[in-house]
Amino acid sequence: MAFLRSLIYGIRNLLRRTKRERDIADEIERYFEEAAAAQVEHGMTAEEARRTIRMEAGTMSSARAQANSYGWENSVSSFFSDLRFAARQLARHRAFTVTATLTLALGIGANAAIFTAIDSILLAPLPFNHADRLAVLGTRYSNTGRTTRRVTGPDGVDVRDQAKSLEAVSLMAGGEEGVQLRDHATYTEVTWVDENFPRVYSLQPIAGRLFSDAESHRSALVNEQFARNNFGSAQAALGQTVHIENEAIEIVGVLPGSFHEPGKTEVWEAFSLLPESKSRTAFNYRAVALLRESTSFQTAQTELNSLSQRLQTAYPEDNRNKQMVALPMTEALTGSARPTLMLLWGAVGIILLIACVNVTHLQLVRSMTRQREIAIRKALGSSRWQVMRPVLLESLLLAILGCAAGLLLALPAVRILIAMAPKELPRAGEIHLNGWVLAFTMAISVLTALVSSILPAMRAAKVAAADAMKQDASRGMERKGAARLRDGLVIAEIAATFVLAVAAALLLRTMSTLMTSDLGFETQRMLVVDADNPAHTDDDYRRMLRQFDEIFANLAAIPGVEHVAGVMGLPMGPYGSNGNYNTRGGLPVESHHAPEAIFSVASPEYFQTMGIPMLRGRDFNAQDAYDNPFVVVISQSVAKQSFGNIDPIGKQIQCGLDSDKWMTIVGVVGDIRQNSPAENPGPALYMPMKQHPAYANQIHIVLRTHVKPLTLINTVHSEIARANPLIAMRFTTMDSIVNESITAQRFRAALISLFAAAGLLLSMLGVYGTMAYTVAQRTFEIGIRMAFGANRAVILRAILRHAAILAGIGIAAGLVLSLLLARLVSAMLVGVQPMDPASLGGASLLLLLTAIAAASAPGWKATHINPLAALRAE
Amino acid sequence: MTDENTDVIQGTLDMLILKTLSLEPMHGFGITRRMEQVSRGVFKINPGSLLTALQRLERAGWLDSEWRQTENSRRAKYYSLTRAGKKQLEKETADWARRASAVARLLKVEA
Repeated sequence: MAFLRSLIYGIRNLLRRTKRERDIADEIERYFEEAAAAQVEHGMTAEEARRTIRMEAGTMSSARAQANSYGWENSVSSFFSDLRFAARQLARHRAFTVTATLTLALGIGANAAIFTAIDSILLAPLPFNHADRLAVLGTRYSNTGRTTRRVTGPDGVDVRDQAKSLEAVSLMAGGEEGVQLRDHATYTEVTWVDENFPRVYSLQPIAGRLFSDAESHRSALVNEQFARNNFGSAQAALGQTVHIENEAIEIVGVLPGSFHEPGKTEVWEAFSLLPESKSRTAFNYRAVALLRESTSFQTAQTELNSLSQRLQTAYPEDNRNKQMVALPMTEALTGSARPTLMLLWGAVGIILLIACVNVTHLQLVRSMTRQREIAIRKALGSSRWQVMRPVLLESLLLAILGCAAGLLLALPAVRILIAMAPKELPRAGEIHLNGWVLAFTMAISVLTALVSSILPAMRAAKVAAADAMKQDASRGMERKGAARLRDGLVIAEIAATFVLAVAAALLLRTMSTLMTSDLGFETQRMLVVDADNPAHTDDDYRRMLRQFDEIFANLAAIPGVEHVAGVMGLPMGPYGSNGNYNTRGGLPVESHHAPEAIFSVASPEYFQTMGIPMLRGRDFNAQDAYDNPFVVVISQSVAKQSFGNIDPIGKQIQCGLDSDKWMTIVGVVGDIRQNSPAENPGPALYMPMKQHPAYANQIHIVLRTHVKPLTLINTVHSEIARANPLIAMRFTTMDSIVNESITAQRFRAALISLFAAAGLLLSMLGVYGTMAYTVAQRTFEIGIRMAFGANRAVILRAILRHAAILAGIGIAAGLVLSLLLARLVSAMLVGVQPMDPASLGGASLLLLLTAIAAASAPGWKATHINPLAALRAE
Repeated sequence: MTDENTDVIQGTLDMLILKTLSLEPMHGFGITRRMEQVSRGVFKINPGSLLTALQRLERAGWLDSEWRQTENSRRAKYYSLTRAGKKQLEKETADWARRASAVARLLKVEA
């Protein structure tokens, strides 16, 4: 209560300062009048009375000052007057203010932008109900330590039925599928889920209903967006029939537009609680689970451990070393983005540090020129705190300016970040500025203010009045300590920039490795069509194969098209299979160590179309039909690992793609990089489409063209639609598929290079500032030296050598830091070692040149000092 | 002015002001005069300290103030005790009596 009253009084006085002062002055005047009147009553003359009162009560003005100084609001108003003083100072030194603000804005803006991404991706809770109880189930092999985020059907069912710590478990499968609507077909992500799925995610349909277990392969839920795009509204979608994999599916419910798990699913088709795959070694399903309330992941994992033990005992062959695991959903969804985001955060942290050092440096230079002012203040009795306060307040004001400018910078930066982000970046759509980001930005701004002003403020406090008055740097008497401090800051800056430059160099080298790596096939002028030809029955498959034959022939006849082929398992494409294989007539194989290969299914002319060299034997041809002996083409690595020096042609291979039939090797082709340019070329088996129809309906049609591939889209589209309008299509080029496969690396390389460039710019400013200041301070000294006949070259060399020495020390320090930090990025590098000498050397050279370039302007100025003018200056 | 007069004992000024005002509302100089009279010139009060103390007491809610005519028809700011001020005075008086008698006892023992 008393506190509140004091607060109100104080605020009232702050707002009406003059009234309070007038009141007090008035009251004191009356007081003295009364006192005088009382003395006069005692028989004094008015003159005597005044003198007496003066002796006893002091002057009116000292009483006024004492009465006015009461109240907390006085410290506030003196704070404000200091603040006004600081603001005036900043306004007067405009160059300083603008440079410092922009420097801070760069550092703060970069941090705000990256933190926005980190906050939205890693820190914000997932936008699901009970997000902290959601888990992704996976399987870990305890012997190899490898974890897959998939489960086999029977294992998943056992976990669902037996784990008491899990409230609900849902198995699911799916991916990109063609969905046939009444008059057209569209490509989208379709996921088959069981009836537990909505329970795991606590989903309520916004229209219609959920499905039950009895509706397997008959009913589906769709996303609101999908309903709107294809039917006009959520209501209109209800009761509609779509075809997926040639099954008629009725839409029974619509889920909110914001929900599209897993991935970008738009259609959830019902499948049975009893999964079709009964194999305990085929990881055909993904599984999500909801932990029971107040059950920890640890408890759940403990239960899964004992459950896995039971399964290992019950199925010693299939479940050997198999361990079921429950990963928190947050980790499963965003864990992959963590290293990249942390790398970026580290980089912007360094930028902020460099910015702080630069501002510290600017402040120091300014405080040198202010030493006399401070000395005079001290001589007049200012306390340490009073001397430090203006410096701190100036920094605070700068930080506020920097914070505001930084946020302005962060807004577009975040947008650019999202636009640049690789497709795999989770939750990219959720990235936005919010209160937390604002709080973070303000916090780092205040921190920046403190960090960058602490040295200058301490120096101000240490100024000894007498010394400062004597010392005058413009006469070459600068204190040694001051120069050393500035040099130290420059060295720190260069070291930090060096680390960024090395990181950028390593990531750029990784990029160039990836972009120039020989993929084993040609990517230019190649149109890729995702084509999904619905098929279900044997008749469907026969029709589908016939249609594709016809389509390939028609497409090949289009002017500008060189070769056409179809493939399941396009390099860097969404489909593919792999597994073990056995050979007859090959090298002996250790048991439990069957060789592995990638399985692809292709039409004749595929190798020619892709530009994969046929090394031996022949391509597929029309004779390789379903009823004829099965054939296979192997890649060079298969030949090497399974046949050595034996000629593989005519030998036989068996693999578990879809049949156990032995296939005769008819050809050997070159190896390709299948999944990413970052991967090594490896073993692959190619099988003809006609002998594996189950894998031949969802394929990529590849066209090698003479012309720009995208110009053919319309012709190709109408040609395919003419054969079958229900084939869902999507077009792209091989170049862009390859490009997209390295977006994560490109994203990192581009951002880190950008940050390194920013760091370089700031360091350059730092070096330039130091050198320019030194030259300005030493004008007198240089003038004398020149008057005594010093050579211009000598003076220039001295200044450049100074810069080079600072750079050298900074680079050495940076080298040590890089050695310590290198292993953090090693996982992101391809084809280059963390201690790559070229990168380290390049960064060293770059920084050295930058430092010398930054010093050369002040150096040049120094050589043009006119000795006479310099000596006369003071 | 004699050597006898002293500043008011640290911390007692507030209590003395409250006591003085408990008789009737007074203006600033009135308070000074009354305290000097009653203390027979032992306590001298400086107007700056007095006004600071009055502001403090008013903010604490123990005093009210208003501008009024004095008996010789000049204007002055009059201070009066509030109910909370009365309570505070009682508390401080009791407190002071307790301390003073304790100090007196201690001094007696020493002698």
